[in-house]
Amino acid sequence: MKVVGITTQQEVYIGSKDRNFRINEFLIIIDPYQGDLMGEVVEAQTYNKYIPLNIHGELADNSVIESLKSIGYNIEEDTIYIAKVRLLNEALYPVETGSDVRIPAFHEVKDLMIKSSTDEGLVLGIIKNTDQMVDDMDEEFKNLLYTFEEGELKKQNDIPYIFDIRSMHQYPHIGVFGGSGSGKSFGLRVVLEELMKLNIPTIVLDPHFEMDFGQIGDYMPKGEVESYKDKFKCLQVGFHVGVRFEDLSPQDIKNLLDASSPLTDAMNNVVDILFKRNDSYNSFHNRLKMLVEAQEEGTMDKINMKITEAGSNLEREGWQKRKELYSSYDKICPYSSVRGIIWRLNRLENEGIFSKDIKPIEEGLHMGKLIVIQGSTRILQVFSTYLLNNLYHKRREYKDALYKKTTADYFPPFIIVTDEAHNFAPKGYNSPSKSILKEISQEGRKYGVFLILATQRPTLLDETITAQLNTKFIFRTVRASDIQTIKEETDITEEEAKRLPYLRTGDVFISEALMGRTIFARIRAADTTSPHTENPFDELKNKSKKDDEKFLSIIKDKLPINGNDFINVIKEIESDTGVTYTINAFEEKLEDLTDKKLIKKEKTPFFNIYRE
Amino acid sequence: MYNINEELKDKISYLNEVLIDKYKDVLSMDKISFKEFIQEKIGPIIKLEKLTKEELANCAEKGGILGVDGSNNRMGGAYPHFVEIYQGLAKSTLHKDKPIYKTDFYTPLYSEKEELPLENERQGEESIRKYKLSAIEVEAALGGIREFNPYAIIMDGSLIRYDIECFDKWMELRKECEEKGIILIGVIKDIKTSIIGEALKEDKSLDIKECFYDRELLYGLLEYGEMIAIYDKVAKKSKEGFTSLFMRSSQAPTVIGMDILDSQKNHLEEMARLVLTITPKDSRGVPMWIDIVDSEVKIPDKMIRGLLESYLDRNILEMFFISERDKRTL
Repeated sequence: MKVVGITTQQEVYIGSKDRNFRINEFLIIIDPYQGDLMGEVVEAQTYNKYIPLNIHGELADNSVIESLKSIGYNIEEDTIYIAKVRLLNEALYPVETGSDVRIPAFHEVKDLMIKSSTDEGLVLGIIKNTDQMVDDMDEEFKNLLYTFEEGELKKQNDIPYIFDIRSMHQYPHIGVFGGSGSGKSFGLRVVLEELMKLNIPTIVLDPHFEMDFGQIGDYMPKGEVESYKDKFKCLQVGFHVGVRFEDLSPQDIKNLLDASSPLTDAMNNVVDILFKRNDSYNSFHNRLKMLVEAQEEGTMDKINMKITEAGSNLEREGWQKRKELYSSYDKICPYSSVRGIIWRLNRLENEGIFSKDIKPIEEGLHMGKLIVIQGSTRILQVFSTYLLNNLYHKRREYKDALYKKTTADYFPPFIIVTDEAHNFAPKGYNSPSKSILKEISQEGRKYGVFLILATQRPTLLDETITAQLNTKFIFRTVRASDIQTIKEETDITEEEAKRLPYLRTGDVFISEALMGRTIFARIRAADTTSPHTENPFDELKNKSKKDDEKFLSIIKDKLPINGNDFINVIKEIESDTGVTYTINAFEEKLEDLTDKKLIKKEKTPFFNIYRE
Repeated sequence: MYNINEELKDKISYLNEVLIDKYKDVLSMDKISFKEFIQEKIGPIIKLEKLTKEELANCAEKGGILGVDGSNNRMGGAYPHFVEIYQGLAKSTLHKDKPIYKTDFYTPLYSEKEELPLENERQGEESIRKYKLSAIEVEAALGGIREFNPYAIIMDGSLIRYDIECFDKWMELRKECEEKGIILIGVIKDIKTSIIGEALKEDKSLDIKECFYDRELLYGLLEYGEMIAIYDKVAKKSKEGFTSLFMRSSQAPTVIGMDILDSQKNHLEEMARLVLTITPKDSRGVPMWIDIVDSEVKIPDKMIRGLLESYLDRNILEMFFISERDKRTL
């Protein structure tokens, strides 16, 4: 391997007669005047002067190449390999042409590749094309993980990629970009597994109900994976966790109601007027209800009538109250809007949102657990607004109190993770959760609150937030507009951007401020699997097979069944199992089993006989 | 853009007419009867098969094929202020990492021996240059024989050229090949002979006065893989001890020629098949091995210039070898 052609201080070409180059591999150029220079292959090519790409001209056809081989000359050996290498650090002078080139040893690249120890960082995968440097790698970095290659588990044979989580203090927030099927969700899963291993308090907003870590992948070698069961908790909004109504601000209430179904201006107004600080769900709901009842009476006279006609003191007091509400609010709170609010409030109540609080989440964070919050995207948007505001300010109060030397309850630093982040912080319009995410993105670093935002549409993510993501994991991306955004927001080069649409699933460019360059890595195989990994078509197949078996077991001891005797057989089945079939449905099922060759059908002049 | 002189256009049109007029009789000749004429007067047309894998392997076992070619680069201006650099290369298919290079130079400003016959300086100079180029190739071939003992040698160009231009060295090579049983052939990319043309002229039944060249007569006549083994009595090279053939070695309609030592005549067909085997079907008809050797022996003019600039004193270079033309920038 030698440096060939015209060189610059930044880039050189390296030629070799016998060794092909791989993109992103590291090489050391032995410049006789400047010493060793480290570079990374950014383009790799091969060329054979006797087999040129020449559409109109002559081509050494296969038979001639074979013939020459037979008389001892292998033309393919004249292939030369060329690599374009970019120096990691600019040289003082252009690199000396003709300099020798060699493959670095691990200790020479260690500082470039590994920034953290295995027990303090996130072991996310391998750095691609580094297998030739592992010979003298420290034992600490060997056999840490498996990767998936072509559907098979493969032992680690490269330098591991370890994300230095401590560096987030300096370079906060992570973005995970990639189209569907690019390995983005698996990447996120691996990140979360590593966070759990380190017991870092984490909140995951999971609109897909997929972040369950209870199931260890059946592909993993037995006994090598520790269970994550005690390290995470799945909580559903409205079922396990909810909103404490007393903590809500008028804005929170409006956000919540809006999430239930969009609010009109008049409805917003009703909330502003009728919602009082420290209202409980009941007090607010009662106020609304009484106003509506008064409005339903229609006039002050009718309400007065109700008061005078009241059968008990309690009822009289009640109507007295309604009268007060009516006189203060009827003019400014139109009946239909008040009704609309009640309707929405009931709906949220029915979903259970107000019956729970966020205590389990806080407790989980205190214990350093990973808390997965599940719910539909709309509910999550609203709930997260409330939740994140609440938690972030708790953490903030604690830190500020430390600074001011007053006292506040301890609240740990934590990480917020979400997939489909563009739904929570969209570009161009306001969404309830956007302002809190923006706030955290801008000043969360000070308080030890960090974001990991994954999205398949970085273009749709709020720009202020994108700009704060100091580390980016970029998986396969096909959309031109997203590639454009990625190019603008990260330091990936033109060549790398061109490769984005062709990345294999699980291959990722990592643009990290700490590294100062882009790393080409492959995410490790996840220890756990998503509950959604069964192929829906397999599911259909299995289901129909199960159904058939069930039906077959029911009719088995009734066989043979005569075509004129269905009604009796059905009766028997009904009394045996409690399952009722209509004659048509029963016959159809028998036919179906016949088609599948599970039973045989015999035709007679009068009816069919179904046999085993 | 460029202005084309009207007269120039007319002249070129005139050339076209003249050529059409001259060749219309010959070119309109019936292909089949023309082939019959050739079979009768020139030599049998034989359909060649490519060598089999086993035959090729046999070739390799017996020492492989040695390809020989030469190159010359000239730098400087008109006589006598120029220098010519010659390079000969012999490369074996079996020992591709050990090419045998021979180099030499010539400038009229300095002569090693009394090679120049004083009375006819310019003509002598021409023959020295030819001698040097041919000799360098023959030397390379000799080097190859001694080093590799190949099964066969393919020279680039007609063998008769060496006979004429460097007779002494040529005889040495010829003798050595015959002694060691190494087959020696020359492959001629551009045939310049007029064997068929003359036969046509002599044939009294045809009324052809002018002499045509084989190149145009054979253009498109042979099928891919056909060869004409020329009778020694019509070939002019026989008295120098060569046997020749024409063949179409690729899809291109042009034919190439091949010479072999007459003492090795029994290998004629085998060598023709070898040439056919190692010539790409879609190429212009030159054996791949010759093309490879050719591309390796050639030195770019720029490199020669660089060499001279590096190893000649600047004033020597300027004084002798930089022509006014080299300095022109327009």
